[in-house]
Amino acid sequence: MSGPRDKKKRPEASKSEKEKYFELSRMSRRKMLKLTAAAGAGTVLSPMILTSRKSTVYAQGTVPEPELCPATPVPQSPPHTPFVDDLPVPSPALPQLLSPTPTKAANTDNGEAARDDHQRWEEFTPAVTYQLEARAGTHQFHRDYLPSYGWGFNGLYPGPTVLNAYGVPSLVRFKNSLPDPTQSFGTPQTTVHLHNGHTASESDGFAGDFFDSGLFKDNHYANAYAGIDDFGGFPKGDPREAMHTFWYHDHLMAETQNNNYLGMNGMYIAYDQTDPPWEFNTPGSLRLPAYYGVTDFPVVFLRQRFCPTNPTTGRTEKFQVVGAAAPGTDKVAVNGKLQPKLSVRRRKYRFRMLNTGVAALMSVALVDGNGAQKPMTVVAADGNFLHTPGVVSATSGFPQLDIHVASRFDVIIDFSQFAVGQVAYLKEITTTPQFVSSPAPPPLSDGTPIGALLMRFDIIGDATIPDTPAIPSTLVELPPIPPAGTYFEWGFRNIAGNNPPGNFRVTHSAIPENDANHDATFLPFDPFRIDHVVLKGSSETWAIRNDTMLGNWLHPVHIHLEEGRIIEKTICSVPNADGCNPANRTPVAMPPWEDGNNARRDVYPTQGQERFVIRLKFRDFVGRYLIHCHNMGHEDAFMMVRWDVVEDLATLRRTREQINAERVARGDTPLYRKEDLG
Amino acid sequence: MKRRAFFTSFVGKPPDEQFKPARGSPGPTIFTNALLRTHENKQVRFYDDLIRGRHVLINLMYADCHGACPVVTERLLKVYSELKDRMGKNLFLYSMTVKPEDDDPAALKNYAEMHRAYGLPGWTFLTGDPYDMETIRFNLFRMDHIAIDLDIYAHTSTLKIINDGTNRWLHVDPMASFSTILRKISWADPPKSFAEKLEANKKLQEKINKEKKLWGYRKDA
Repeated sequence: MSGPRDKKKRPEASKSEKEKYFELSRMSRRKMLKLTAAAGAGTVLSPMILTSRKSTVYAQGTVPEPELCPATPVPQSPPHTPFVDDLPVPSPALPQLLSPTPTKAANTDNGEAARDDHQRWEEFTPAVTYQLEARAGTHQFHRDYLPSYGWGFNGLYPGPTVLNAYGVPSLVRFKNSLPDPTQSFGTPQTTVHLHNGHTASESDGFAGDFFDSGLFKDNHYANAYAGIDDFGGFPKGDPREAMHTFWYHDHLMAETQNNNYLGMNGMYIAYDQTDPPWEFNTPGSLRLPAYYGVTDFPVVFLRQRFCPTNPTTGRTEKFQVVGAAAPGTDKVAVNGKLQPKLSVRRRKYRFRMLNTGVAALMSVALVDGNGAQKPMTVVAADGNFLHTPGVVSATSGFPQLDIHVASRFDVIIDFSQFAVGQVAYLKEITTTPQFVSSPAPPPLSDGTPIGALLMRFDIIGDATIPDTPAIPSTLVELPPIPPAGTYFEWGFRNIAGNNPPGNFRVTHSAIPENDANHDATFLPFDPFRIDHVVLKGSSETWAIRNDTMLGNWLHPVHIHLEEGRIIEKTICSVPNADGCNPANRTPVAMPPWEDGNNARRDVYPTQGQERFVIRLKFRDFVGRYLIHCHNMGHEDAFMMVRWDVVEDLATLRRTREQINAERVARGDTPLYRKEDLG
Repeated sequence: MKRRAFFTSFVGKPPDEQFKPARGSPGPTIFTNALLRTHENKQVRFYDDLIRGRHVLINLMYADCHGACPVVTERLLKVYSELKDRMGKNLFLYSMTVKPEDDDPAALKNYAEMHRAYGLPGWTFLTGDPYDMETIRFNLFRMDHIAIDLDIYAHTSTLKIINDGTNRWLHVDPMASFSTILRKISWADPPKSFAEKLEANKKLQEKINKEKKLWGYRKDA
């Protein structure tokens, strides 16, 4: 076909690989259908197959690299006409057979990235397998724009949505086919985290477990509820620990934000009896809007800035400066489109809202065509159902929904409150200070009739699919709050002045409010340094402090592996950069989607001087996990630490003693007191 | 002969053929081709003589710094000794002053000697016109955050890793562990062949297995 390709001599081995591939694709269809049915996803797949995607998909390695536009002055994104493109629905990932067959131990001979053996492999043999290939592609963000170069899973932005069911273990093969070398500002190593799966460490996308372009890595997702060890039954685990809305994204240490800005993320939804992919009445079902792409939509926000359209290259490139962090932005893409529209009918719809950042908060509210606020109901926070749903409206006390980076909210909007022919908008209101002593990000410049509108809903008619019943006043019974256990404190601070303010760190202390301990641990992330170690099956009380001043950085703190319960949220009434006198801690009222009696969270948005006290139980898996600020800029500046879960008391004691010894060798005080050693 | 040697010794030297910039290299538009002075008082063009097609590490410092700089310089010395074989051949380290008004070449030389960094091939301390130094600092170390970007001390603890030959730009905190720093530096190396990647991957797996055997869990691998 093309000249340069002919000149390249293809290696002998690839031929047989190709043959293998065709063999597989012939047999995979029947098997695939079988698998789909097994996953219980058969019902959901049909509407989704109808949703088409318009982005160009290039064969691997043929996407022309971007020509970057000049960085000075920083370009204004080209203007676009609002509300002309339809809201795209990310296509579902299709199950497929994998070659080579997934194995418990890393298949390094065939190019799998080095890793530990899969935990609980025999117990949760994957019944359904997917392949998501990270590679370059182009995506058109608006019809007034030309395609933009980006990186995505299967070359798409947003990546395909993985639809799964509890009780059906799955395995996703993440193949790294990113261009190496690249002209873009991304880094072609990757490690993929399923946020916030109850996942074994070797499949958790630990930031230091990145692998090179050309290799692949199998992430094994048990799709079991937390508490596998304590609860039998099917699906295994404690059903009250169900999580439904996840997202997967690149978690490469120090380079996460650029890779995510280029588009390396997607959604992952897990269904179960409580929240099945259908709306008709089945035992235990909550009967919420659930037809993917019909009444249930992922809504993925990503802030972007674009270069001027370049007709010569045929591109409207994403603005990026090689070597710099993801830039300040002036457009918000919703599912990869700028200010899209969605035709809805007079009934309830579910929107699984996700802020992929990369750094800024997204505060949203629903308004009608005249700008008057209308209610929407939050049923799940961070993928977990609330005990009692919360309402975002002018009168509920919560006039906006703050979606911090990486947070997900399942929001139900009842469009029967509108008349046919009316419109409604999702509006962005950012009131929380995210930027210190720099101008607030300018409002969207073009095509914004009232405020910063993210998308428009056109109410086109009465419901054709019968509406779901009223949202239950009690959605689910939450599992009991874990017992207190031992206490551990994490401090999120960036020290201003001569100690560079670019230093974002997580400090820690096993002794409450002990600043000497916090100061001594002002260390950057190191995948080889363990900062805390916990025993599998134990529970602990963790405090998350933001030690920056009020109005300074907000840190959306994310903890891997387990969902936490917030039992206390306080603010320091006498601001102090070195921690707070406990007498000055004043309680802060929590919205229903934060309060541990009503919600389970995996992102804890901590304002300056605030402190969350949470309870966690570490179950089922051992290995290396992370706690970090999910502002991806901070995460990349190493506001992240590794903590480990270990199997037995002897290992716990030995590791804690070792941490103490290492600290003493550095000239610091020991982290653990004698009674903390286990 | 002497005359030519004199003229080619600094300005307008034909670019070194060993170092070819990548297609996407921003060239002097970002790096600038400012005339700088080294700690040995030699005049150099920033892009043409120091960056063009090269794999370089850049950090910011100033001679009178008693905070982060000495610690960072100590750590850079250790990084230097780890990569000794490559330094000056296909890897270069530049320490640029953020206080060019105070730091003349002599002051930089003094600083280098004080930190036992003097006379090491491939490690150059740089000063120049304050406007040029500020432009370079802003272009390379900017974080799009006004408070941080206007503070000249803010980046004294960032190590930029730039390979103009592969157009890879990375940065690392010099206080991170040496293995982290070395891994980050290697990310900017010219792309490895698939066979090399496989080999390195297998070695890592062996290391993991050894660690597991030794500790029961992964400590360092």
